[in-house]
Amino acid sequence: MLAAVLDYLQDLPLANWVRSSPSIFAYTTVLTAHAVGLAIVVGVNTIIGLRLLGVAQGIPLAGLRRLYGLVWIGFSINLVSGLLLFIAEPHAMAAMVAFWAKLMFVAIGMIVAELLQRLYFTDAASVQAGLVTRVGRNLAIISLVSWYLALIVGRLTGYPDMVNRWLGLSVGST
Amino acid sequence: MEGIAQFLTVQGMQAFVNAHEWVWPVCEMTHYVGMSLIIGIIGTLDLRIMGLFKSIPIAALRPLVPWAVVGFIGNLLTGIVFVTGTSSGAIFYINNLSFQLKVIFLLLAFANLVIFQISGLERAVYATPAGGNAPAAAKAVSAFSLVAWVLIIFFGRMLMYNDTLLLFLGV
Repeated sequence: MLAAVLDYLQDLPLANWVRSSPSIFAYTTVLTAHAVGLAIVVGVNTIIGLRLLGVAQGIPLAGLRRLYGLVWIGFSINLVSGLLLFIAEPHAMAAMVAFWAKLMFVAIGMIVAELLQRLYFTDAASVQAGLVTRVGRNLAIISLVSWYLALIVGRLTGYPDMVNRWLGLSVGST
Repeated sequence: MEGIAQFLTVQGMQAFVNAHEWVWPVCEMTHYVGMSLIIGIIGTLDLRIMGLFKSIPIAALRPLVPWAVVGFIGNLLTGIVFVTGTSSGAIFYINNLSFQLKVIFLLLAFANLVIFQISGLERAVYATPAGGNAPAAAKAVSAFSLVAWVLIIFFGRMLMYNDTLLLFLGV
C-alpha cells in the first residue's frame, strides 16, 4: 500500500522534473530554499525562545509575538520545498529513520509554537506587564530543544547508512 | 591556485576527518546551527531596520547579536574543517565557482558591516525608538545584508552541485 503510494509520487511529472532536470531551478533551488526556510524557522524560534528565557528583555512581548509571521513564512517555504524533495526520492526518504524523527520534531515544534500563542501570548495581562509565566518558559525550552533536534536529525538524512549502523539496523537498499 | 590549495589542504585534518565518520556530519550540523542563528538574528534585525516589526525598538534586538557572532565563529571554524579536511583536497573548494561566489558575498557582507559601523549608521539605528524609522541609508545597508546572506546560503548549498551552476551560466 505504502509502496504503491510512493511509486505513484515518484512517477509524477513534477517529481521527475525535480529529480532529473538539469535546470538550476529544479533540485538545487528546491534544496537551497529548504536550507533558507530551515534557517528562518529555527533562527526566529531561537529569538522567541531566548527572549522568553530572559535574553534581550527589551523586546516587548507583544512585538515578539509578531515574529511568528516570519516563522510561518519559513515553514511554508519548507513545506513546499520539503514535499518536492520527498516526491523526488520517496522510497529513499520513507526508508530513513532520521526523516521520520525529523518530521516528529518539526511537528512538536509547530504544536509548541501554537501552544505558546494560545497558553501564553493570549495572556494579555502578563504580556503587557512583560512577565513570562512558568508555562511560557517551559514551552520555550521545549520549543528550542525540538527545533535543534529537528535540525540535527534533518542533517542526518544525508547519512542513512551511518545512522542505520548506529542503530544496529541492516542497511536497506533503495 | 594549486599552491593555495596545497597550503589549505592539511594532512592532519584530512586524517582526522577520515578516521572518524562523525566529524563531517557534526561539523555540518554546527554549520547549520550557525546559519540559523545568523539568518534568524541578523535577518530579523535587517527587517526591523527596513521598517517591519516597528513595535520592537531596534536597540532591543542588540543583545541577540553576540549569539549571531558565536554562530558565525562556529561556521568559520567548521568551514575551515571542510576546506582543510576534505578527502578531495582544498582544490575542490578553491576551483569551485559556487564556493568562490560564497566567499565573495561573505566579503561583501563584511564590507557592508564595516560601512554600517564606521558611517555612524549603526549609532543612528540603535537610537531609533519603537515605532521609529531608521535612516534611509541604513535601510539600504540592511537590504544588502539580507540579500547577501541568502546568497551565501544559496552558493554554499550549490557547492555540491557546481556543475548545475556552470550549466546555468553557460560556462
